[in-house]
Parts: sequence; structure tokens; C-alpha cells
Amino acid sequence: MTDITLPAPVADDHDTGGYFQAAQRGELAVLFCAKCDAALHLPGPYCSSCGSLDVEWRTVSPTGTIYTWTVVEHQLHPAFPVPYTVALVEIDDVPGVRLVTHLDGRPDVEIGTPMVAVFDDVREHTVLPRWVIRDA
Amino acid sequence: MTYPLRDRCAIAGIGATEFSKKSGRSVLALGVEASLAAIADAGMTVDDIDGIVRCDLDSLQHNDLAHALGLPELNYWGAAGVGGGAPCGMVAQAAAAVLSGQAKSVLVFRALNGRSGQRYGHGAAVSAAVGGNGSYDEYFLPHGLLSPGQMYGLVAQRHMAEFGTTSEDFAHIAIACRDRANANPNAQMHDKTLTMDDYMAGRMISDPLRVFDFCQETDGACAVVVTTAERAKDGPNPAATIRAAVQSGMPDMQGGMLFPALMRPTLTTQPSASAAAKLYERAGLGPSDIDVAQIYDCFTITVLLQLEDYGFCAKGEGGSFASSGALQLDGSLPINTAGGNLSEGYIHGLNHVVEGVRQIRGTSTSQVPDAEVCLVTSGIPVSTSAMILTKA
Ligand SMILES: [Zn+2]
Repeated sequence: MTDITLPAPVADDHDTGGYFQAAQRGELAVLFCAKCDAALHLPGPYCSSCGSLDVEWRTVSPTGTIYTWTVVEHQLHPAFPVPYTVALVEIDDVPGVRLVTHLDGRPDVEIGTPMVAVFDDVREHTVLPRWVIRDA
Repeated sequence: MTYPLRDRCAIAGIGATEFSKKSGRSVLALGVEASLAAIADAGMTVDDIDGIVRCDLDSLQHNDLAHALGLPELNYWGAAGVGGGAPCGMVAQAAAAVLSGQAKSVLVFRALNGRSGQRYGHGAAVSAAVGGNGSYDEYFLPHGLLSPGQMYGLVAQRHMAEFGTTSEDFAHIAIACRDRANANPNAQMHDKTLTMDDYMAGRMISDPLRVFDFCQETDGACAVVVTTAERAKDGPNPAATIRAAVQSGMPDMQGGMLFPALMRPTLTTQPSASAAAKLYERAGLGPSDIDVAQIYDCFTITVLLQLEDYGFCAKGEGGSFASSGALQLDGSLPINTAGGNLSEGYIHGLNHVVEGVRQIRGTSTSQVPDAEVCLVTSGIPVSTSAMILTKA
């Protein structure tokens, strides 16, 4: 994934920037409420569970499993040649928290396929966490 | 407490343009044509219309249409959204405006050059840096998740895995809509039949969804006139009474435009489940009272999820329900009798409202005999709206 036309994420948003800062360090981060430990995903400035504005990014283990996936066969954007697969990965450490990943081609996956995050996809100086199939 | 809106407002007039792939006209021209048709159908003139409700994604603002139509008075305007989730909510808002005395009669419209102009099917506009400002696109677009169809591919795959839903189940939805379109001369797919073999031979777009699981992209417009039930009786055509209407989010909502809905705890229950509970309570009716339904169908899976959420079958049984023949004209729940978004055209679900009124009037090209109660739903997944229309 070195095609320079690949879109880069905005990495300095007030609410989501911490995710990309962690990725820069090679870590996977999820936002939590500092008071009640609720995971706040997608990240936001407020914990509606306990009413706290005190939130913090915490590093989590970069492993997960596939929650669902789709194989894209119809070309939409030149940066993403088909076929490719888009998967939703549920993080092992934080059940219910999911992230999206791109996989080349039509990999042999199913719900529950073990995945691991890697930090080798650099776009415009921003590291985009992506997931690959984890060997058993 | 009785729902204060029950039976107090009605849709007095309906209008629609031709649905095509290339209108050759401006969105404004389309909006004007559909609006004038709806106003005339209600037995009114522009002098009677003093309110306008639009869809939040419409390129026309209230003043654009008011100016073009030459409305002498504009006392109320508003918008609902997001996008396809809007139409029944637009009607509900118009009814609320009428009942609260803010307007006498309200025009509700949707106009778009959805094929020759901006195409939703082409997905998000991807630039060098994507996301930020509460869009959450930075979590999705850089991975190649670009379009609604891809998102619904993820949802469909999950439904198949959880419940054993099959491609044949999706096909039955596509075929039911196509069969109805074949009877509707204004449907984009009027001349194109669809068999199970055709469906299975269809090009895969975002596996498990094939080309026939996707709606049309359409140039066209629809409009309806909402007024009091009393006033609606004066029109030359039978009015459809708004028994109840609802807008609904759901617990654990997400922000953003579309993709963040993938982060909700479940993908197989949608805001339509929350909408259904409130709608039936407000209407004092239940799923067994529905004679015919216009179910928002940007994709086949969208219909399947709503069949479950609106209680026509249990959660997980939408596939077998669709495959049972229930959705056909002689089934227990005929749907999308003009062809729906899948085969009539994609006027973002306002065409479903128009067709719901036709069923109540008895003027559909696929009329359900003695139809007295019609469910109309609008889009998911962000949030949704729905209503029940009845004979006056
Ligand atoms: Zn908290």
C-alpha cells in the first residue's frame, strides 16, 4: 500500500487525533472515560454513562477478530483497485469496539478470523493502523 | 394519552415527474413540475400553499421553490434528514406545522438529478486528507470503505452469518419490486423483467450484494401536499389520512453521516425497530393491520432488516419471510407496489409516500384490493421515519 494517491486521514482532529498519535508510536489506542472506564467509541469528549468530561486514550492489545466483511468487486476510486476486502474488526481487549481495515484481494476470512494490527501504512506522514490475518 | 396527530392531517395531493437517467433539466425544473402536479392534484393553487418542507440533502432551498412557484405567502419551512431517512419525517413535520397553526397547507418535495448530476453510488468524495470535524470519515474512508453499498455489504454478510440468510432471500425482494415496476409505466425498470437466474447472474458489486440488490440512480422529483384532514376532503381526489407518523433514532446512536452506524452494538437491528414500536403505539395498530407497505429499499438488505424491525416476522426470519412469497401482490404483505427505489426510481423515498397515497386511493398500477392501511417507511441506518396512511 505505497500508492501515493491513497487518501490520508485527518490526524489532528480534537476528538480523534489521539488514535493517530498512538499509531505513530506503533500502538493501538481507544478512548476511555477516566472516571467509569467506559470505552468511548467512536471517540467523543463526553461520557454519557457517568456524565464525565474526563476522557483519556489508553493503549490496548492490537489483536481482534473479524466481525463482518465485504469483498468489493466494483471499482469506485482509483486508489483502491478491486477486488479488495473491507473488514470490521472487533478488538479483543474491548468487546464491542470495532475498527475498519482494508485487505488485498479476496482473502479467506470468516466471522471470528483472528487479526492483528500493524503500523506500516504511512500516508502523508500519518500512520494508519491496518489489520492483517493473525497466524494461529 | 392519545397521539395528538392521529387522523388530523392528510395528504391531499401527490405529484411526480418522469423518472429517467438523464432529465436534461435543472433540479429546480423537476421540483417545480412535481410541486405543481401535487398542488393541482389537491385541488389547490399556489395561493393555498404557505409552507415548504425539504430533505436536508436537496439542492433546492425553501426560497428557491417558493420563488419559482410564485408563492404569495411563505409562513413555514423546514427540513428533515438524513437523506433517505427523511421523507416520512418531512410529512410529519408538515402535519405538525399545520396542526400548530404555522401554515395552512404545506408542500413536501424531493428533487434530484441523481444519475446525471451528483451520484450517491459513486461514494464519498475522497480528497488527499479525509475526515475530521465530527465526520469520523478518518476511521473509514482511508481503508476503502467508500459507499453505502459497501456498508450494506458488511451488514448483509453479518445477517447471513447470524441467521442463515441467503442470496435467494435477497433475490425475492428484488424480484417482487421488479414485478411491480413491470406494471408501472413510469418505473425506470418497467420494460426489464427480472428472474432468479437473472439475479444470480448479476455482477457482484460488494459481496454478498449483487447489482440487483442496488437501487436505481434517478433524475426526477416527487411532491405531496399536507393539510388538515378537514380541508383535504375538499379536494377532487381522495385524501390519505395520516393515522400516525414517527421519527426515530435508537439507543447507542453514532454521529457522522453513515459509516459510524457500523459501530452500534448490533448491525441487524436498526432504528426501524424503535420507530415501529412508537408508530404502532401512536396508530393503535399493529403489523397484522397493514394491508400494503412501501418499504424504503436503497438495497434489498434494507428491506429485509425492516421486515423484521416492523414486526412482520421475527428477528432473523426476514429471509425466509421474503422467500415465502409474502411480498408479492397476492402475499400477506405486498410491498413497493410502484417498484420502489430498487426498480421504480430513487427519489430518496418520497416516491414511497406518493405510492402509499395511490394505494389508499385505489389508483396504483399494482393495486392491492381493498387496501385501507398502508405502512410507508423511510431510510436507515442513521435514523429513520415512518407513517401509516389510511382511508379517510
Ligand atoms: Zn464515564
